[in-house]
Amino acid sequence: MSTKAFTLVSAVEPELLMGDKERVNIECVECCGKNLYVGTSDGSIHHFLLEEQPLPAGTAAFTATRQRHRHLGFRKPVTELRAASALHRLLVLCDCSITLVHMRSLEPVPSGARIKGAVALALNENPVSGDPFCVEVCIISVKRRTVQVFMVYEDRVQIVREVSTPEQPLAVAVDGYFLCLALTTQYIILNYHTGVAQDLFPYCGEEKHPIVKRIGRQEFLLAGPGGLGMFATVAGISQRAPVHWSENVIGAAICFPYVLALDDEFITVHSMLDQQQKQTLPFKEGHILQDFEGRVIVATSKGVYILVPLPLEKQIQDLLSSHRVEEALVLAKGARRNIPKEKFQVMYRRVLQQAGFIHFAQLQFLEAKELFRSGQLDVRELISLYPFLLPTSSSFTRSHPPLHEYADLNQLTQGDQEKVAKCKHFLMSYLNEVRSTEVANGYKEEVDTALLKLYAEADHDSLLDLLVTENACLLTDSAAWLEKHKKYFALGLLYHYNGQDAAAVQLWVNIVNGDLHDATRADLYEYVVDFLTCSSDQALVWKYANWALQRSEELGVQVFTKRPLEEQQNSFNPDDILICLKKYPSALVRYLEHLVMDRKLQREEYHTHLAILYLDEVLQRRPGAGGKDADLTETQAKLRRLLQKSDSYRVHFLMERVQGAGLPMERAILHGKLEEHEKALHTLVHELRDFPAAEDYCLWRSEGRGPAYRQRLFHTLLALYLGPSPSAPSPSTPELAVAAVDLLNHHAAEFDAAQVLQLLPGTWSVQLLCPFLTGAMRDSIHSRRTAQVALGLAKSENLIYQYDKMKLKGSAIRLSDTRLCQRCHSPFCEPAFVRCPDGGLVHTHCAASRRADSSSSSPGART
Amino acid sequence: MRKPDGKIVLLGDMNVGKTSLLQRYMERRFADTVSTVGGAFYLKQWGSYNISIWDTAGREQFHGLGSMYCRGATAIILTYDVNHPQTLVELEDRFLGLTDTANTDCLYAIVGNKVDLSEEGASENWEKEGHSSGPVGGGCVSPKVSKQVRLEEAVALYKKILKYKMLDEKDMPAAEQMCFETSAKTGHNVDLLFETLFDLVVPVILRHRAQGPPQTVDISRYKPPGPAKSGCCA
Repeated sequence: MSTKAFTLVSAVEPELLMGDKERVNIECVECCGKNLYVGTSDGSIHHFLLEEQPLPAGTAAFTATRQRHRHLGFRKPVTELRAASALHRLLVLCDCSITLVHMRSLEPVPSGARIKGAVALALNENPVSGDPFCVEVCIISVKRRTVQVFMVYEDRVQIVREVSTPEQPLAVAVDGYFLCLALTTQYIILNYHTGVAQDLFPYCGEEKHPIVKRIGRQEFLLAGPGGLGMFATVAGISQRAPVHWSENVIGAAICFPYVLALDDEFITVHSMLDQQQKQTLPFKEGHILQDFEGRVIVATSKGVYILVPLPLEKQIQDLLSSHRVEEALVLAKGARRNIPKEKFQVMYRRVLQQAGFIHFAQLQFLEAKELFRSGQLDVRELISLYPFLLPTSSSFTRSHPPLHEYADLNQLTQGDQEKVAKCKHFLMSYLNEVRSTEVANGYKEEVDTALLKLYAEADHDSLLDLLVTENACLLTDSAAWLEKHKKYFALGLLYHYNGQDAAAVQLWVNIVNGDLHDATRADLYEYVVDFLTCSSDQALVWKYANWALQRSEELGVQVFTKRPLEEQQNSFNPDDILICLKKYPSALVRYLEHLVMDRKLQREEYHTHLAILYLDEVLQRRPGAGGKDADLTETQAKLRRLLQKSDSYRVHFLMERVQGAGLPMERAILHGKLEEHEKALHTLVHELRDFPAAEDYCLWRSEGRGPAYRQRLFHTLLALYLGPSPSAPSPSTPELAVAAVDLLNHHAAEFDAAQVLQLLPGTWSVQLLCPFLTGAMRDSIHSRRTAQVALGLAKSENLIYQYDKMKLKGSAIRLSDTRLCQRCHSPFCEPAFVRCPDGGLVHTHCAASRRADSSSSSPGART
Repeated sequence: MRKPDGKIVLLGDMNVGKTSLLQRYMERRFADTVSTVGGAFYLKQWGSYNISIWDTAGREQFHGLGSMYCRGATAIILTYDVNHPQTLVELEDRFLGLTDTANTDCLYAIVGNKVDLSEEGASENWEKEGHSSGPVGGGCVSPKVSKQVRLEEAVALYKKILKYKMLDEKDMPAAEQMCFETSAKTGHNVDLLFETLFDLVVPVILRHRAQGPPQTVDISRYKPPGPAKSGCCA
């Protein structure tokens, strides 16, 4: 209710107007540009020039200078004055007659043109004729129930239409073809072109002074029942809710977005936007309230006053400073049509931002966020409210005039920590939302740095997410802040993001070593190892490799073993790494395994080295543990696998180490590598008595070789089984015999049965060797039959050839002088010739040379 | 100001709760309201349509404005007080005449408000539809009167309105769908009322758009206009 939309200033002082003529009253006023006309009760017209001096507070002062004044010559009051500036004419209604007078001289036009018999008049501000030197005037005629429409030119008038109304008209307004009329019992809209009338609503115009006021294109404001100001369009529809005036309203005026009304004691101001009463100005004895091209004039019977509207911006600011956000926004939005587009947008955005801060200060974050968003707030304005969040390097200064009255958050919350926390939480979510939108464009550094600071301060998990994804956090500012809040791990991430990996790793190493305290990651050591593994900075890896290995050889060595393969091949020399790993035996083993097994490098040193390392470990562990140590067997298994699979190690060198070390199996494998199968099998059979191993050995060594090779191996083994045992001849024999029988029975196919039978002792029963013998028999029979089939086929093939030969020999060939050699095309001089399979005849020497030419040509049958 | 696509007008005697109904729906609250002066309106965004809802003054003094408010209306909500039978009578006697200016295919809803004051509404349990007539067995502590107007009476009025408007019952929504008993105080049925209407209004808006200005309406496809109608609505 306390908006100040208008100030009332005096325009023409009573002394200036009337002087001492006390009985003379103002009847009507007209204002056109700087010209102010006043019609008085004694039939005079006074002309003033209005000068406006703007005042700093947004109002203005007016001074009126008296120009001419003229008495019309009637003793009747001047009822209405209307200026037609395009014609330089003033329409004067006096004594039921409208006279045209010159605007400056106030002299009547020489032609004496006038409209007679008029009670009231209205100018059409939305004229239907396109003629700029013509004014359309509607009058209420002295004739009962009649209105007339005239065209008024510079020095003549012309009636256009006369329309009769259902009741006596009391007031009229015009827009285009539409007349809005107050009749004695109701308001109507009358289209004088078509004659169609439209009832609006009942109103007893005789009891209460009706008001008909055009307020814009096709819309009128009417005094309604109960002191209502009703809006109606020419279609008879109300598009705005009514405003509520007092019962005895005398006049109304429009000054967008306000409707002003005058009654006996007050001028009231309502907003058309929300229908609320916004201002009340006490004003006694007023009897005229009119607006002229946006200037609102109010007059008593003695003086003329102007209601100066405060600039909209000022009104909005007033509303905002009293925290009436909604009203301010409505007013600002309503101003759209009064202000040029660009200017409006700037103004409206600013109002939205201010409104946002008001909500923000009341901790109404949802509303604030929406307003900030729609007002396209420079996000730094918000950040700058929070102490220390803007980077020191930021050149941001708050907009002037300020968008809010707060120095910072502490002032806004008056130190209430709970509120501060809420505000911070809001900023966190807000920045997080906007950082990927265009709101953050150009301010990414400020946004991300502020966000980082908030996260760090609040110990928020998103801090790490922020740092590992794309961000624009400023290094120096953020680093200092993270250090202050002991977020060393995050600080490391920040360094890493800014390409300072060395600093990052140094920090993390310090945390792992316990020199700094930050419990963000329990597995920081593994993280660092991972980091180094992925780092392409060789110097960095070398620098911290020792540190990593010292903490854990197993994990530390991953720095080398888990590197991406391509990068390994290019940059890290395995020999350098091996030198480095000398001090870390188990890491060394891992690394060699990596080289040999994963990368399948075939360099002899690596393989030998790895084999030696395995061997050393086996030897070292064996005496202590004595029994079946799990580690030991695992290492031994690895050793054996390496010895078997690899072809790259130095066999002799290893043999030297293995010999006499009590590792028969390994020795056997090495013998095998040297193709010393007898020695190998001897070891397996006689030392280890591991017969399945011996069989496996035969299979292993014969892999990829021909069946003959394999047979040789198996025969060697069989011979060992059957031969004399070197150490204990008698007791071992049955055991070996059993092994021999098994071998024969299981691998019947690998033996030459005839040879075997000669080797076998005669004492052995057939039953014992039944599977072997059956197999051998079957094999033998199978070979025999196969051979017979082959023989039969060969014979029949031979027969076919014989038949062919016979056929060719059967017919005689005549050789005459006319026959020419197919090849050299010369006649045959001797009886010898060669006949080709196709029947062609050639010289013998030709046939011979042809054969020499192409060895592939088919041999001819010589006859 | 954007021109609304459709208009809904609340009519009814004074003090039946028109403003409260609208306030309950638009602002989700119930507060004591003062007697409405003249009228007020809200804009409701429903889908892609702007629907204006006009709250009118029930006082006799302002009845004259009703016709103008109803001009071109897409739907009219006739409101009465279930505890005051006279308010239902007034709908027919005084308010029905005001609706002559509405569109020929205007929708009508009849709403009995203030069910919370009668016995049926005494229980706060509003899960079951309060459509059954007659008081439910007593046992309420509060001294509430039994409901004075039964829903059947509203249904009868609805059918009478259709007859008066010379509308075919088959073409209009069923009476059961368009008669509501509400409580602006508890919020009972308020959303249902407005949202049912919005859903019915949208096809009407579309139809009007498709047909262009009403003057070009094909009569053969259309209902004959109401008795007091001349094609004047824009």
